[in-house]
Amino acid sequence: MMDLNYSDEQLLLKESAERFLKDRYDFERRNKIIASKTGYDVGIWSEMADLGWLALPFAEENGGLGGGAVEISLIMEAVGRALMVEPYLACVILAGGLVEKLGSADQKAKILGGLIAGTSRPALAHAERQTGFDFGNIAATATKSRDGYTISGEKPLVPGGPFADIFLVSARLDGAIKLFAVHADASDLIRTEVKLVDGSRASDLVLDNVAVPASALLGAEADTLAEIEATYDRANAALASEAVGIMDALMDATVAYTKERVQFGKPLAAFQALQHRMAEMAVKCQEARGSALLATLSVDAPRPMRIRGVSGARAKIGKVSRSVAQEAIQLHGAMGFSEEMPVGAWFRRLYAIENTFGTTADHLKRYSEVVRDPAVLSGSLLREPV
Amino acid sequence: MDLLMTEEEVRFRDEVRAFLDAHLGADLKRAERLNPSFLADPAVGLKWQAKLNDKGWVAPSWPKQYGGTGWTLAERYIFDQECERAGEPHFRGASIKMIAPVIMRYGNDAQKGFYLPRILSGEDVWAQGYSEPGSGSDLASLKTKAALDGDHYVINGSKIWSTLAHHATRMFALVRTADTGKKQEGITFILIDLKSPGATIRPIRSICGTHEFNQVFFDDVKVPVSDRIGEEGEGWDIAKYLLEFERGGAFAGGVLRAILTRLHRLASEPLADGRKMIDDPLFMVRFAEIATDVDANDMLELAAMSKVQAGGNPGSVPSSTMKIERSRIRQSIAELAASILGPDALRWEEYRPLHDLPEESEIDEERKVASAVYFNSRSQSIFGGSNEIQLEIIAKTLLR
Repeated sequence: MMDLNYSDEQLLLKESAERFLKDRYDFERRNKIIASKTGYDVGIWSEMADLGWLALPFAEENGGLGGGAVEISLIMEAVGRALMVEPYLACVILAGGLVEKLGSADQKAKILGGLIAGTSRPALAHAERQTGFDFGNIAATATKSRDGYTISGEKPLVPGGPFADIFLVSARLDGAIKLFAVHADASDLIRTEVKLVDGSRASDLVLDNVAVPASALLGAEADTLAEIEATYDRANAALASEAVGIMDALMDATVAYTKERVQFGKPLAAFQALQHRMAEMAVKCQEARGSALLATLSVDAPRPMRIRGVSGARAKIGKVSRSVAQEAIQLHGAMGFSEEMPVGAWFRRLYAIENTFGTTADHLKRYSEVVRDPAVLSGSLLREPV
Repeated sequence: MDLLMTEEEVRFRDEVRAFLDAHLGADLKRAERLNPSFLADPAVGLKWQAKLNDKGWVAPSWPKQYGGTGWTLAERYIFDQECERAGEPHFRGASIKMIAPVIMRYGNDAQKGFYLPRILSGEDVWAQGYSEPGSGSDLASLKTKAALDGDHYVINGSKIWSTLAHHATRMFALVRTADTGKKQEGITFILIDLKSPGATIRPIRSICGTHEFNQVFFDDVKVPVSDRIGEEGEGWDIAKYLLEFERGGAFAGGVLRAILTRLHRLASEPLADGRKMIDDPLFMVRFAEIATDVDANDMLELAAMSKVQAGGNPGSVPSSTMKIERSRIRQSIAELAASILGPDALRWEEYRPLHDLPEESEIDEERKVASAVYFNSRSQSIFGGSNEIQLEIIAKTLLR
């Protein structure tokens, strides 16, 4: 039976995630982390391992907790509010997710085992400069060598790159896209740290005939490209929830600020012109929440319905989150313009999200291609049991 | 948490689909397509209501004891989706969705026994008597007077924007029985027989060219005290209860998806120069954005439904959000549909109802009604508590 209420366990997870980040990751601490030499906090990462976050989405037989997209969405909302820069999404959802789908028992034991323990941080190096939103547009190549493969190519803006010890590099092997596990310290792999617009960091990778053993290939027989696309959809659903967490935080901050700030002898929140603007922000927060929930519950649906849910949410949330962030800055006045308040950091993170794993326009286009089919457009959100 | 139907729900959906295939005739569907208004032409609506009444499906939201279906919320959602997908005439207005829940909650046994069956059968059609010329959003300022005189009230005043009152047999109205104290405290809820001497109706044509609204005048109209609902002075609480049904009580997911699908069909048809709007990237940007709005609103409805199913309340912010968003979505679909007419947008068919005119192709008829649908859609953000009132409700919750 259709049910959109969180279970008690899910509510506990939500509460624990919010409390952990509130206690251990306030805005001041976050600013120290992004100003530090490395740009991340290893201590927080191992605490996340202790809390089970790193094991959350993986099957129990792989050492995970068997959590689903809903559990991930709850973590991501809290991550959004806290503006966490450690690459949870990059390591766990993207890289970890693909290892679970494509890896051999040995690869899973090694890479997932390390990830879950908090000792290894795999990162996916897939998209290239020309890839845009066409996941199959990959130029990196892998050629068979005597005892393995030789990989060459460029992978810019690898999420989680500076923090990674293993890269999952996509490359064309005899024309087909395959994934290879490449050690971050491999010779002929050049990793350059890049600072990002939201305070986090990524890496530009250049691989120049990097030699890897035969055991580095994941999923020799699998449709790797289809798995990569599905994994990006999971990541996009997670980003949608992160954005919702940020929107709620912006809403709360704006309400709190306008209640406190007195001008012309009364709080800003007493002016009807501003009240209605905040009410419009709340409308957008609600809609975004509906969209993100649909994305979350669509990640395992048949492909057109998955795209309807996920890209529809990224398109819709891109638009409304931008508006909410702009309004939050405006209603904070000059204070919203200052880096001292988190408002600007949330604004910049939402801007980064709009340009991560497909832009708002890319997602709208992908969505519009599936809803051109009237069967998808008119199809109920309720699904038949499998 | 999931979006899955049960096996029984799938069977239920298929049963509803089969019924609609068999009983919702092409004439009724055509009349609805050609109806620019929120509610169907009464002749059309009553015809469809009679067919549903034979099946026992007139009032999906009523409890079984009053002749409703007794369905679960999920079944009601599925039924609504299927009816909308099939294009049923929208006849569930003031009678089924407004006065009936009030009679069930506040009426006495005699009132329930007399009025509820007459609603199901279509013998009674009700009009709403809330707004007055001087009282719109500030409803509690209403002035229509009811003076007690023995075993009846004498009503003087006027009600306005009464949808389909010219076809209605009765009106439920808020009237003032006291002028002392707070303005909300002197309001009483009564039922008026519109055939009573002293009741007169002035038609108001709306900007879509249809006569759906009316102003109703009461000049010493007598109403028996037995037609009062609840106690004297209890009218404001009853009114608020009723408005909950007008605002949030129904699903819009089905109708929004249905009219968006109609727009898709219209945009897929070649224009005079051979182009299709659906191939126009500018059109598709707007269309796809609206479709994401429909999905988001649909999810909010399902989430609200889940809350109610679990014994909770959707909350005022989600409810007002849905009211606002439904209106905006309907308006943007209607506006986009009208925007593809080209110079034909200038042609205006005055005759009403449009379905009495000779039949043309489905697409030509969609084009014929599109301007009027757009004009009518502007009412969406005004009725049932205007969007500004909804924003006030949200702001009060946020800022309290």
